[in-house]
Amino acid sequence: MKIFNRQNIAGAIAALGILSTATAANAQTTYNIASMADFTGPYADVMKDLIGARRPAIEWWNAEVGSKLGIKLNSKDYDHRYDAAQVASLWPGIKAELNPIVVLGVGGPDVAALQGRLPADKVPMIMSTAGYGFAWKPDPWIFNPRPTYSHEAAAFFEWYRGKRGGTGPLKVAVISSEASPAYVDQHKGIEKYAKDNPDKVEVVEVVFTEVQPTDLTTQVNRVLRKGAEVISIQTNTAAVVATKRAMQAVGKKVPILMSSHNGVLDSGRAVGDVKQMEGDFEVYAMAVPTEEKTPSRAFFDMLTAKYNMKAQWTVTAVQGLAQTLVALRAIEAAAAKVGADKITGESIRDAMLATDIKSDRIFSVLSDLDFTNEAPFPVKGLKAGIGTIKDGKYAAAAQDAPVPVLNKW
Amino acid sequence: MDRAGVFATSFGRDQALIRTRQQWIAFALFAVLLVALPYVVGPRLVAISTAMMISAVVVIGLQINTGYAGQVNLGQAAFMGVGAYAAGVCATKFGLPFWLSIPLGGCAAAVFGFIFGLSAVRIKGFYLALTTIAAQMLFHFMILNVPSSWFGGSNGLSLEPARIFGVALDTDRSIYFLCLVVTAIMTFGAYGIVRSRHGRAFVAVRDDDVASGMMGVNVVRTKATAFLIGAFYAGIGGGLWAYYVRFVAVDQFTLFHSIWFIAMIIVGGMGSVTGALIGVFIITAVRESFVTLGPSLVQSFPALGGDVVFALMNVFLGGIIAAFLIFEPRGLMHRWTILKRSYRLWPFPY
Repeated sequence: MKIFNRQNIAGAIAALGILSTATAANAQTTYNIASMADFTGPYADVMKDLIGARRPAIEWWNAEVGSKLGIKLNSKDYDHRYDAAQVASLWPGIKAELNPIVVLGVGGPDVAALQGRLPADKVPMIMSTAGYGFAWKPDPWIFNPRPTYSHEAAAFFEWYRGKRGGTGPLKVAVISSEASPAYVDQHKGIEKYAKDNPDKVEVVEVVFTEVQPTDLTTQVNRVLRKGAEVISIQTNTAAVVATKRAMQAVGKKVPILMSSHNGVLDSGRAVGDVKQMEGDFEVYAMAVPTEEKTPSRAFFDMLTAKYNMKAQWTVTAVQGLAQTLVALRAIEAAAAKVGADKITGESIRDAMLATDIKSDRIFSVLSDLDFTNEAPFPVKGLKAGIGTIKDGKYAAAAQDAPVPVLNKW
Repeated sequence: MDRAGVFATSFGRDQALIRTRQQWIAFALFAVLLVALPYVVGPRLVAISTAMMISAVVVIGLQINTGYAGQVNLGQAAFMGVGAYAAGVCATKFGLPFWLSIPLGGCAAAVFGFIFGLSAVRIKGFYLALTTIAAQMLFHFMILNVPSSWFGGSNGLSLEPARIFGVALDTDRSIYFLCLVVTAIMTFGAYGIVRSRHGRAFVAVRDDDVASGMMGVNVVRTKATAFLIGAFYAGIGGGLWAYYVRFVAVDQFTLFHSIWFIAMIIVGGMGSVTGALIGVFIITAVRESFVTLGPSLVQSFPALGGDVVFALMNVFLGGIIAAFLIFEPRGLMHRWTILKRSYRLWPFPY
């Protein structure tokens, strides 16, 4: 009896082919993401929403995108205590144990401890916080989807000046502190912008206070007499509270500009009532988390409904979503370039530099992102969201205020 | 105190750090363990060990200053920062090799510390503590306000890896060995200082500065010297830190870090170089264990959430330190001394 006739052999080959195709379709390459956060340091109180937003976004991607590409992403949280020493001692273990293809970072300690190591280890890091002038260097391995705090402030100044009307420069006072290099960097960037654009912005004074000021009546009175139309405070809520109290004491009111970490809601709670922040503003190059039915809000609601998202719809949740979505889309771009089973940290970095990330691909959480080799953040084409308290309610004053191009300081 | 039946028969023997054959064997085994460590453990433990050694150098300096000489110092992190910046400037602006940059960093910190040591001549206790906090603030504002071309200002300083014979010390293992050599030198140096006439003067001034002055100890010089030496150690630690992280910024050296250093000498035991080393080991090991254990716990019990797990760990770490202060305020070294005395006297009761 002839067992191996031609028909049988052809059938077996066909069956093997189908089987191998099916296996390939089901085969998934697993990659790891290191998720850094401050669980026990000075910013632990605001980490819940940030971390809470990262994991559901990754689970969504695994289910909806990764399964089709043959990629599964795992993430592991690490507590860096907002301390560069802790990051420095953590990283070699993370690299050896997890071998991550990308790191999700938070704040200066991650940048300080890893900027020298990541190029050698060939792992990119994507930040949730805005950038800094001191980290504005070419050939980045650390990426900020947001520009610097000074860029964001400048976006507000231009938007507000347009809203105000007239031709003269917007007179701005800055309340800052020398307690942190980050704070110093913020006002230096604003001063540089004002110097380069005297027709648009005039800095009437930079007031230096202690980190947690209690009484700024004298200083606020002085800058108001100098004609300040906006007081910019990108440091913390304590400075906002002291400024608000000072303006109430002298019986005057000009808008206060805040950032993502000391926004109108956080500062309002610290003041005692968010209604007291009526007419004040916060600015950041991300979506403003209001109750409006925006694409980012719809995406967030979908994560809550389907992927057990526990985070609240806050600015820190938006920060967590933003960095995670950028990382996920960069991984997709890398997979398209090198193949799903050959993704490395270096290929992700290359993909980030070579591929624009369009706003609709990241559910309008951020504007279009075009990373280049000259800076860790997109130097042009960004849009900023501006939040405010209007009629006692949190609202978006603008969702797409153009971020101007700034020169280095 | 040696075990029963062992007597020093010469001054040299009496002064020796390692006095018996058993101690030599234990020391040799410990040295072999330290050298072999990077080859037998993973990179995470190597990194933790490196961080421990850097902290050890700084904390030994604090031990000399505070534990031996009794000069309260809450500015040790600032002295470390001065050393880190000075080493960074020597390396980046003047192109000096690490074996010159690190000692020069130590010297710069020593000068900075000496200035505050002079204030210790007139004040003590809480007032001195406040003055050293001022050192912390002064360092911060100085770095941020002098022209940024000097120390980088808010931009910080980036360093190239240390190099020896053309080989870059840019791996975890190589930087571990650099720190091991420097820490060994500094530790033996500290043992030498505290057993010298300077060390005896420190203890005399700590116990009673008026009486020690009447006995002929130059109190002014002794206090200033204690700060000078303590700050030198901090500066050397800062130099190592600069080459370890390869980036120096002022917010890496805060009052918070100084308080951790104080906690280390309290847990280890005031007035003992070995106590300082034990304190560094215990505090760092407990802290790193929690940090390492946390992610695994979060993965095993995702319902708890990272924020709860890590926060509980922080509470637990704080509880351990508080328990030390309540049940053994004189530190682990005191407990070890009691234990050692009991087995050395055995079979005699006292």
